[in-house]
Amino acid sequence: MFDQIIQFLATGLSVGSTYALVGLGFAIIYNASGVVNFAQGEFVMLGAMSAVGLLAAGVPYPLALLVAILIVTLVGFSLNKFAIEPARGASVVATIIITIGASIFLRGAALLIWGKDIFSMPAFSGNEPIEIGAATVVPQNIWIMGITVVLVLLVRYFFDKTLYGKAILACSCNKTAAGLVGINVKLMLLTSYGLSAAIGAVAGLLIAPIAFTSFDAGTMLGLKGFSAAILGGMGSGMGAVAGGLVLGVLESLGAGLISSGYKDAMAFVIILAVLFFKPSGLFGFKSVDRV
Amino acid sequence: MTILQAQNIDKYFGGIAAVTDLSFEVEKGVIYSVIGPNGAGKTTLFNMLCGYYVPNGGTITFAGKCLSGLQTHQIAALGVSRTFQNLQVFYNMTVLENVMVGCHLRTHTGLIKAALRLPSVVREERQVREWSMEALEICGLAHLADREAGSLPYGELKRLEIARALASQPAFLAMDEPAAGLNDTETVEMRELILRLKGRGITILLVEHNMGLVMQISDRVLVLGFGCLLAEGTPQQVQNDPAVIKAYLGEDV
Amino acid sequence: MKRLSGFYVYAALVAILPMFFPDNYFVTVVGATILLNVILAVGLNLFIGYAGQISLGHAAFFGIGAYSSAVLTTRFELNAWLAMLLGLGLVYVVANLIARPILKLKGHYLAMATLGFGIIVNIILVQESSWSGGPDGLGNIPNLSLFGFEIDSDLRWYGVIAFFSLAAVLVSLNIIDSRAGRELRAVHGSEFAAQMMGVDTVRTRNNVFVLSAMFASLAGSLFAHQQSFVSPESFGFGFSIEIVTMVVLGGMASTYGAVFGAIVLTLLPETLVVFEDYEMLIFGAILMGGMIFMPQGLFVFLTQKLRELLKRQRTRANKVSNQSVKPSKPLECDS
Repeated sequence: MFDQIIQFLATGLSVGSTYALVGLGFAIIYNASGVVNFAQGEFVMLGAMSAVGLLAAGVPYPLALLVAILIVTLVGFSLNKFAIEPARGASVVATIIITIGASIFLRGAALLIWGKDIFSMPAFSGNEPIEIGAATVVPQNIWIMGITVVLVLLVRYFFDKTLYGKAILACSCNKTAAGLVGINVKLMLLTSYGLSAAIGAVAGLLIAPIAFTSFDAGTMLGLKGFSAAILGGMGSGMGAVAGGLVLGVLESLGAGLISSGYKDAMAFVIILAVLFFKPSGLFGFKSVDRV
Repeated sequence: MTILQAQNIDKYFGGIAAVTDLSFEVEKGVIYSVIGPNGAGKTTLFNMLCGYYVPNGGTITFAGKCLSGLQTHQIAALGVSRTFQNLQVFYNMTVLENVMVGCHLRTHTGLIKAALRLPSVVREERQVREWSMEALEICGLAHLADREAGSLPYGELKRLEIARALASQPAFLAMDEPAAGLNDTETVEMRELILRLKGRGITILLVEHNMGLVMQISDRVLVLGFGCLLAEGTPQQVQNDPAVIKAYLGEDV
Repeated sequence: MKRLSGFYVYAALVAILPMFFPDNYFVTVVGATILLNVILAVGLNLFIGYAGQISLGHAAFFGIGAYSSAVLTTRFELNAWLAMLLGLGLVYVVANLIARPILKLKGHYLAMATLGFGIIVNIILVQESSWSGGPDGLGNIPNLSLFGFEIDSDLRWYGVIAFFSLAAVLVSLNIIDSRAGRELRAVHGSEFAAQMMGVDTVRTRNNVFVLSAMFASLAGSLFAHQQSFVSPESFGFGFSIEIVTMVVLGGMASTYGAVFGAIVLTLLPETLVVFEDYEMLIFGAILMGGMIFMPQGLFVFLTQKLRELLKRQRTRANKVSNQSVKPSKPLECDS
């Protein structure tokens, strides 16, 4: 029983890393523009699908991965430029519909290009199972967790230590003030969407060898990444990461110990629990309305 | 007779003491003004009176009833109404509809009766319309009844809030800076309006920065500084109080 | 009654169309679907458009109504109308239960919570196959019958659904033009001011949520009997989004806007079928474009354009008749 739990933990951390990256992407866009990007999952899907397509066209593996990330980054830029920017000042409901529309659009594009098939992708470094204590993992799991750690640290460094990153944070606090001190707010927003898309693409590339991919693989992932962000506290990138890991582990434990059919429901039960009892999440903070 | 009584009110936000040990009484039918520099705790006081904030200590009693634990709409039902410093107009409705919301407490059609459009509903609608037009006329806005609220200029929006509050036939009206942002002519009109309200028997609690207005129409004045009571009395008493002069003008060094 | 003139026109259209085209698929079948969607959209519009809230999980209530009717009539052989009432009762209870915690939330949080609720209900419908039939669904749902008349033809279904659809529109119009309606709009306009006017805003939002859920439940029960078959697919996140789109794209805070949205959103896939593989792509593009360029909704957008057009024609007509009168002084610009 204990061994099983270790296995569930290992699987959970691996899946959770994906959720963490998706959640991080959510948090970056939310922080920068106050928009909840329902198309986040599509960035993940497009990353994997683009790579699959490029590989099928004969592009060498490492190059295919890089180009896939680049393509999705461009998609992120486009989303900001053509859907979000023109709708500045729209109501919360309107913005939600816009990003949902974008997610449907991207899914439709994927459907058009690649059809309804399910695709697999070769792993980064083979499929030989590795035993770590009582858990058995494949190399891809290690890659997932390792690259997630590196990426999260890079993002943390970017926002904490570089001027560019701080400029983006300034925009999320107060766009007008940021503009007044000379920050190119539009460029900052564009960057954050591109960055978020790139992170999503990486998540997609990491998980595709294990979980396969298809045109609608992004939807659930996006929603779960959103749950991770809420669990951690909207507005905290690191919180989203922690939320993703916690969500992955809880989901894995729940599926293994309680019921696998309700695995997907786990994420949403958690969201409801968080929203009902502590909407600011594990690491977020409450705000008071001024009247 | 006393209509409103505040006893030892405290309010903290984290480590900041917004209001400390404040006590005062308001007599029925008077115009009672609260003045003080920005940050003195005036709007906090209003928000506590309306149930939006809960005092950390002390009690507020209105018409003999203790207000602690009551929600805003319950306090409104006791006869308290309010206008807002940052306008809280219903921009998604017309001028008349805004005021009709004010008649809420005087009517009782719920979802089911409304859905069936019973004859009582039709009668009530006619009545509400009458009451609302009356309130608009008192505030000089009757000719704008069917305009979208969002299209009105600032000065008229302030009067719209008053008309809306008036429609609820309050015993007590708290006005948060009604003259803010008004020019001299508009301020004079506002003064007359407030006096008309007093003439209808409404007790008025006024927060204002316009000292001229305050001193002209107030029966009593309360001076707040850093959340504490600095002085209380008639306008003349307050104007000559050394603590007040010190707070506003400083001392000779 | 001038107040309901729009409604009478609409009701007339709904009644007349099948008289002229009783055998036309578009009128009887697609029309019935439109009318069903009108019930959903008009109900949700009270919650989203007028009260200013949001729900991305309303398909769940549609599903609870549908499955209540399906399960109670097939497994327990209950009378269909009784089953419908019980479905409404169930939704009343469920909606009230979740309303209190869920409606404490606003904006994105409310959106996410309703989304979560909708998905959980959907997953339950898929998982609990012992009574729900699981992902394969539940079939052989008996027909509705009215005073011995069995509702078994497209035309008869059109009639039944049209009745409920028109009732829904009428109820919505009645509510809006009353104290209850102003309560909703006040909550949307400024919750604090509404409270200060004596509106119990918590109860208001609670009640409109439950009401809109019951509209959805009614539509669900009708749907179950009309299709004779239900499966969880019809009651998921995708459909929740469709209903929200009908309300938002059609025009919020406007009953006719919601009706218009239901019509457009139901007809759209029928017309987009022509584009085959491009269907999803184009739908997504329309959603984005619509919300970016017409955030107040298609209905309001079109009626505004119409009004401007009429005004321009009127001023042109005035100019022609005033041509002989010269202005007394040249036009001045505002200083």
